[in-house]
Amino acid sequence: MEAFKLMKELKANFEQEMKYLPRESGLSLIESTTEQGKGISAKCRDAKVEDLWSLTSFFGYSTQTFVLAVNLLDRFLALMKVQPKHLACISIGCLHIAAKVVEAECDVASAHELIRIGQCKFTVSDLSRMEKIISEKLNFQFKAVTALTFLHLYHAIALSHTSHRKEILNLDKLEAQLKACLCRILFSKAKPSVLALSLLTQEIEALQSSDLLEIAQRVQRHLRISEPELQRWRGLVGQCLMQYSSPECSKPDHRKLVWIVSRRTAQNLHSSYYSVPDLPTIPEASWDESESEEWTEELSSGEESLSSSLGSDAEGPYFPAHFRKQQSA
Amino acid sequence: MSSGISAAEKVDGFTRKSMRKAQKQRKPQGSAHFRTQGGSLSPGELSALPQLRDAQSTEQQELFMQKLQQCCILFDFLDTVTDLKSKEIKRATLNELVEYVSTNRGVLVDSAYPEIINMISSNLFRTLPPSENPDFDPEEDEPTLEASWPHMQLVYEFFLRFLENPDFQPSTAKRYIDQKFVLQLLELFDSEDPRERDFLKTILHRIYGKFLGLRAFIRKQINNIFLRFIYETEHFNGVAELLEILGSIINGFALPLKAEHKQFLMKVLIPMHTAKGLALFHAQLAYCVVQFLEKDPTLTEPVIRGLLKFWPKTCSQKEVMFLGEIEEILDVIEPTQFKKVQEPLFKQISKCVASPHFQVAERSLYYWNNEYILSLIEENIDKILPIMFGSLYRISKEHWNQTIVALVYNVLKTLMEMNSKLFDELTASYKAERQREKKKEQEREELWKKLEELRLSEISKNQNNTHGLENSNNNNNNNNSSSKPEDHSRISTTDSINTESYTLNAQYAK
Repeated sequence: MEAFKLMKELKANFEQEMKYLPRESGLSLIESTTEQGKGISAKCRDAKVEDLWSLTSFFGYSTQTFVLAVNLLDRFLALMKVQPKHLACISIGCLHIAAKVVEAECDVASAHELIRIGQCKFTVSDLSRMEKIISEKLNFQFKAVTALTFLHLYHAIALSHTSHRKEILNLDKLEAQLKACLCRILFSKAKPSVLALSLLTQEIEALQSSDLLEIAQRVQRHLRISEPELQRWRGLVGQCLMQYSSPECSKPDHRKLVWIVSRRTAQNLHSSYYSVPDLPTIPEASWDESESEEWTEELSSGEESLSSSLGSDAEGPYFPAHFRKQQSA
Repeated sequence: MSSGISAAEKVDGFTRKSMRKAQKQRKPQGSAHFRTQGGSLSPGELSALPQLRDAQSTEQQELFMQKLQQCCILFDFLDTVTDLKSKEIKRATLNELVEYVSTNRGVLVDSAYPEIINMISSNLFRTLPPSENPDFDPEEDEPTLEASWPHMQLVYEFFLRFLENPDFQPSTAKRYIDQKFVLQLLELFDSEDPRERDFLKTILHRIYGKFLGLRAFIRKQINNIFLRFIYETEHFNGVAELLEILGSIINGFALPLKAEHKQFLMKVLIPMHTAKGLALFHAQLAYCVVQFLEKDPTLTEPVIRGLLKFWPKTCSQKEVMFLGEIEEILDVIEPTQFKKVQEPLFKQISKCVASPHFQVAERSLYYWNNEYILSLIEENIDKILPIMFGSLYRISKEHWNQTIVALVYNVLKTLMEMNSKLFDELTASYKAERQREKKKEQEREELWKKLEELRLSEISKNQNNTHGLENSNNNNNNNNSSSKPEDHSRISTTDSINTESYTLNAQYAK
């Protein structure tokens, strides 16, 4: 029974998803724009989405907020030609709207806090104006059907069929992988249902579970997702996940971050770097440690020790007076 | 002592400390300059000798000696009125001697050495008076300056020029600049006058450089001074100057490092970090430590473990200093050495970033602005991120200081970009753990509430029915209105209990 209800819900969402898809032509335009070009480039958008993820994580927002924010952002960018300098404001605006839709009121960070943490250069009133513009352009259609919606449904369906193996399909992991995919504009072109199914099937393949595979196939048939389309997106998802999982670190571009410290700490930092002292170095020589009693030992060890250690220019007479006297004797 | 002080200047009936300090009579500065002067000249009277530059070259030697002897006579500078003429003569003579030794060659004949050393010893070597201010706080109070500085400064200057004269012969001088001399010189480092210590620093540095036979002795004595300082007295004014000299010595160590030097590092320099007055000499101490590590990187692990062992637990000012030193060490650390210490080190750093003292938190978070440290972290992100994650995530929500919160964002973002997958996994497990904890908290709250309800309904049972019902209802209402729920989860808990208890009471009412 449960499964039947879920399948119905699935179908209902499937029929809605096209409404929330960003305009393909707009997305293509972004993809083809170069860094030096006048509009937003893919790299620009991807970097901003990564920033959004950092903020989502920092403020403790759910993945749903993030996914919705990205959806709003892509839809907006696909409609409007915007200048790169406004991208920060637009993306934060989308995040704020998404948070207000998804999160409980007490968990929504204030606009002021968002701007401060995000190290943004615009003001709170700029942000609210931008939010208004975004809302109007998107016709206030905020309850988007996203890949996350489908992911949750697929997961629920899988659970309902194989309840005794509930631990195997890890929803958190799938969500994290979805997040990784959304950081590339490429995946905004995919239909949410297909993207989610690609992620699901990739994970199922990794788990090598034939039961789950069967369920996935049933879903695919139910939604009439064509095999070539699924395979295409699976391939791309696979590549993305490989990069995400690789132990190789991407060198962080921390030059973008501003490090503000209090005045006292700043003063401290200045003075803690001890400048080179004005006393010149005194090189150690191999024989100088000995007191006069030990002289005889040193002398008997012969010239080898002297010649090897006298590389540096010791201050004082080259041969100590005692030794000189001995030599001449 | 308290006469003449109004009630307003007292606290709890006791005179304020500041008032007491101001009222204290200035005791005359003690001095052990009471020496009987030999010779025909009565103490306190000098007759001016002819100028050196006017003398014939044949006579200069003799005149030089005479002037040296003249300068052995000491004057009392605390008495500002007597012997003014003689004091001036001595001052002029000393000035002359300084110039004589600086500009001329061939003046340092063998016979001059004992006279020179004698003059220097007479003027400089003295028992230092006890500090005027027994509570002397080097950071806060003005130091007591040496009264006879007008002469003493010139003697020090002379000593220095003497040592640096191109004709100076350590082989001749070492008969007079012996261990006893050096010992007396070292004692002077406890002078409160920073100008004196500055001279002593340079002079001892030159002596160490030129007298190879004295080096081991000097090191040993400095060792003793430091150990006494750390473990017995906690008082010595010349620690910074001695450390500066040591810095230049350590810089010149030959490789491989002798065992004696490594011992010094671990047994003296590291424990010295525990001294109360660390702020006065920390820069020099840190420099010495870093120099050691640059000479022999294998010392890194014991040094860092030593510092971690002595990590300040109650003094935030010291903690900030330690963090500065650790950063300087990390700036020069080798990646292989880093791997050995990273876990205990970052466990400490993770505590520091969560410190409620904002300067400590700031200083430790600022490590993430250091490129080299970032590259080390990157290489070992799988070990370091799990250690740091919990604290960082927690304080991003809980820290009172907004600057800190912003810095935490920078750090989290940097770490996230280093390894997204690991970061996501840690986030998920952290969230799951928080959920579990919250659930446990809720369950505990519910249990208490249930027990409370049970207790109240028992009470109402024992009393008259109607009265009991009203009472317990009132109690319930009071309970619910007085408890202030802090978040949504709490509100929902209370509400659910509310309805539950209501039905409970309704049952009893029937």
